[in-house]
Amino acid sequence: MTMQIVIIGNSAAGLSALEAFREKDQSSRVTIVTKEEKRPYSRVLLPYYLRGKIPYENLFIRDKDYYTRMNAKCIIGNVVKLLPEQQSILLENKTLLPYDRLLIATGSSPVKPPIPGLSGKGVYHLWNLADVQNMAPYFKKNKRLVVLGSGFVSLQGAWAARSKGLTVSVVELMDRIMPRVLDDHAAGLLAAGMKKSGVDLHVNTLTRKIERTEDGKLVLHFKGGNTLAADVIIVGTGVQPNVDFTAGTKISIDEGIVVDKQMKTTLPGVYAAGDVAQVPSTFGGEPVVHALWPTAIETGRIAGTCMAGENVVYQGSLNMNVTQMFNITVASMGDFIDFEGTESWADKSLPKDQYLKILMKKGIPVGAVCAGSSELISTLGCLRPLIRGKVRIQGGPGVLKAMLAKEIVQHHQAFAKRNNPCVS
Amino acid sequence: MRFITMDVTKCVVCRNCEYACSFQQTGDFKREDSNIRVEYYDDIKICLPQTCLQCDDSFCMEICPAAAITRNKITGAIEIDSDRCAGCKMCILSCPFGNIHFDETNLVSRKCNLCKGEPNCVSACISGALQYVTAKDSCRNNRETFQGFIEAMAKDTK
Repeated sequence: MTMQIVIIGNSAAGLSALEAFREKDQSSRVTIVTKEEKRPYSRVLLPYYLRGKIPYENLFIRDKDYYTRMNAKCIIGNVVKLLPEQQSILLENKTLLPYDRLLIATGSSPVKPPIPGLSGKGVYHLWNLADVQNMAPYFKKNKRLVVLGSGFVSLQGAWAARSKGLTVSVVELMDRIMPRVLDDHAAGLLAAGMKKSGVDLHVNTLTRKIERTEDGKLVLHFKGGNTLAADVIIVGTGVQPNVDFTAGTKISIDEGIVVDKQMKTTLPGVYAAGDVAQVPSTFGGEPVVHALWPTAIETGRIAGTCMAGENVVYQGSLNMNVTQMFNITVASMGDFIDFEGTESWADKSLPKDQYLKILMKKGIPVGAVCAGSSELISTLGCLRPLIRGKVRIQGGPGVLKAMLAKEIVQHHQAFAKRNNPCVS
Repeated sequence: MRFITMDVTKCVVCRNCEYACSFQQTGDFKREDSNIRVEYYDDIKICLPQTCLQCDDSFCMEICPAAAITRNKITGAIEIDSDRCAGCKMCILSCPFGNIHFDETNLVSRKCNLCKGEPNCVSACISGALQYVTAKDSCRNNRETFQGFIEAMAKDTK
């Protein structure tokens, strides 16, 4: 059956879906709708570009012939309405695009907190190509940057700015940085690294308003009366899914568009994946919006495969975050903050500036967090299949690596014997 | 396709493979620059040499946000383009075997690239623990074995 496939969005989820779809179906017509650049680029890389780690050209993650090779048509357009009865989407320029199967991979957009004066020249998110183009002129020595929020992207921006010689302040409303991505201890190590790199860090700080001086500088006023001057502000206070165009339909939306294990929404023929979708979690329970690159890739692949008529199901999203900044590597995965019924395994063999904690529940790892050197991340990597597979592991604090090695070897030998009788 | 197999029953932790790899990568002999790592666990008496298994469905390649990881069509090796790599470390976090490492000098990830089809570590192995074999030959310690261990673990422990 030849179908008309429409995919809204050409970032991680959209691309992954297109590629998975084409593996199974080479004949259906596929149209990709994007509101930005036709050529796919990676948001994850934007701070790396600002820091000068990669050139502008390397932000683009597919070559120029990509859509031709994929036998897909890419159009630039802003989707303003989903019309499920007509199985069509309406673009701003009044084009009506009919679909047999639709994938909503519209992603998310940054949220701007309701702070008076927080708009106009010099106030940016670190989210799309236009943002970095606007911000690039400020990334010079002696400019002053204030970052509102302390999530991954915000702090990446702060690090890029420090690397370029800017004076950098980070302002966080909560009592510590990275409240959702790290635990207290890891956040403390990263905060120490930031301060050592010369970042002026303010936690427990509520921004009241922003004023502009006559020479165009920005002045941030905080609760309690303190102020900070800035040439440029990065607003990194969270994201929300792009779902406006679904208004008036019966699609189920909670924190994102709710989908099942095959990325099907509550509307027939309509799928969702990536940041916009609220997907099953690897731990079961409430579906989650992780808004992470790996989840977007995975859910996009499931959506694309199912849209081609195959029957695959998602094993559930497992949140995973990693970055290196201010000379320290931090990473986290799954549930890593102690809650009732969990046991913490901290690796006590590590030096003081290194930290690795695995959270266990009934003998099964449910998550981990680390801060320090790159090698720590490898342990988290090895744990990922164990978390997903709900594999019981034995041992205790201090022998984590040996324990993992033992498990690997034992089971690998048992497996080899079962499958290859020639192994003695 | 050929890849490197590792036999834990033969490895004697001489670390020749680590030095050979380091020399291939950097022209120097530093264990921390090696893409193959040998761990010796005295308490449980296990020698575990580990290098990239060049997985068929490699998660690192799929999720690299910089599109820096590709498969070499000739050798079959999963390779990291150090010019494209931004150093985000997502590949290290994604590898279920801990076989991707970080080059702290150039701030990029690095891994085994099979030395363009003639892996130095295998040439330097004194015990026969490392073999460069085709998928068909690999009776023991092959990639399927390694990939299957997780499945086996799940079955055994549930």
